[in-house]
Amino acid sequence: MRINVRRLTRCAVLAALALAISVCEGLVPLAVLVPLPGLRLGLANLVTVFALCRLSPGESFAILLARCLLGALVGGNLSALAYSLTGGVLAFLAMWLLLRLPGLSLFGVCIAGAAAHNTGQILAAMAVLGSPAPVVYLPPLLLAGVVTGAVTGGASILLVQRVPWGGEN
Amino acid sequence: MRLSAAERLRPTPGDALVVLAVLAAAGLVFFLLLPKGGNFLTAQIVLDQEVVTELPLSALTGAVSFDVPGAAYPITVEAQPGRIRVAHSDCPSQDCVHTGWVSRAGGQIVCLPNRLIITVTGSDAPQADAVTG
Repeated sequence: MRINVRRLTRCAVLAALALAISVCEGLVPLAVLVPLPGLRLGLANLVTVFALCRLSPGESFAILLARCLLGALVGGNLSALAYSLTGGVLAFLAMWLLLRLPGLSLFGVCIAGAAAHNTGQILAAMAVLGSPAPVVYLPPLLLAGVVTGAVTGGASILLVQRVPWGGEN
Repeated sequence: MRLSAAERLRPTPGDALVVLAVLAAAGLVFFLLLPKGGNFLTAQIVLDQEVVTELPLSALTGAVSFDVPGAAYPITVEAQPGRIRVAHSDCPSQDCVHTGWVSRAGGQIVCLPNRLIITVTGSDAPQADAVTG
């Protein structure tokens, strides 16, 4: 990845945006409505999708890492880093792969991303606890992921279509 | 590189397949986790991979409430005949408290910050606990 100021600035702005979104989202936890640990809308994923569509995979990954690391620092909860990082990286890989498949729209990509994120969170929780117990939360989280993934998918279609983006350089 | 998915405005049949795959995975995990065993409920409390105590929920005659010793965030478990819950926890996420009462075999309460797991299992009634006659 060639470093140039314009690209670097783009990544920094998107990482800051993703961080702001995830902090705001944390202030209004969905878990109050539905008591399901780890449930969230995943709006910060919008930035990852946008970056995957408009930037290089390397830049998108850097934005994701920056968001997870800074999010853990801002949230003051370093132990949550394991969950957000495992979930984030799995979601990134799933979406990166599915974006290259023909016949899908961003709805399918985001739903798969949400499912991958939930799976990653559960895997991290299993590793932290050293027990398969957290698997009980996987089926309801996957069901919720279909809904939240469809919401972020719809939003990401608007975002990718409407946000102007200067040429490649 | 152009990504076809980024250009589409409407859901495609491929999206439906993704949804089906996710639902199938959820269903599969759910069925694999269906509780086995009888209706004599026992709650096992595990803290940091060590069994703290086992409570025969079905054999309780009254409410029991106690603090789990050694928990990083003080946590209070309450058990009544046939059900158990985390009544109070000082952990930041409060997921364990929000889970509420668990009263069926296969039910679980997880407090991640405390690394505490409460598992309710079902078995056939143990030795005749009340024989009259």
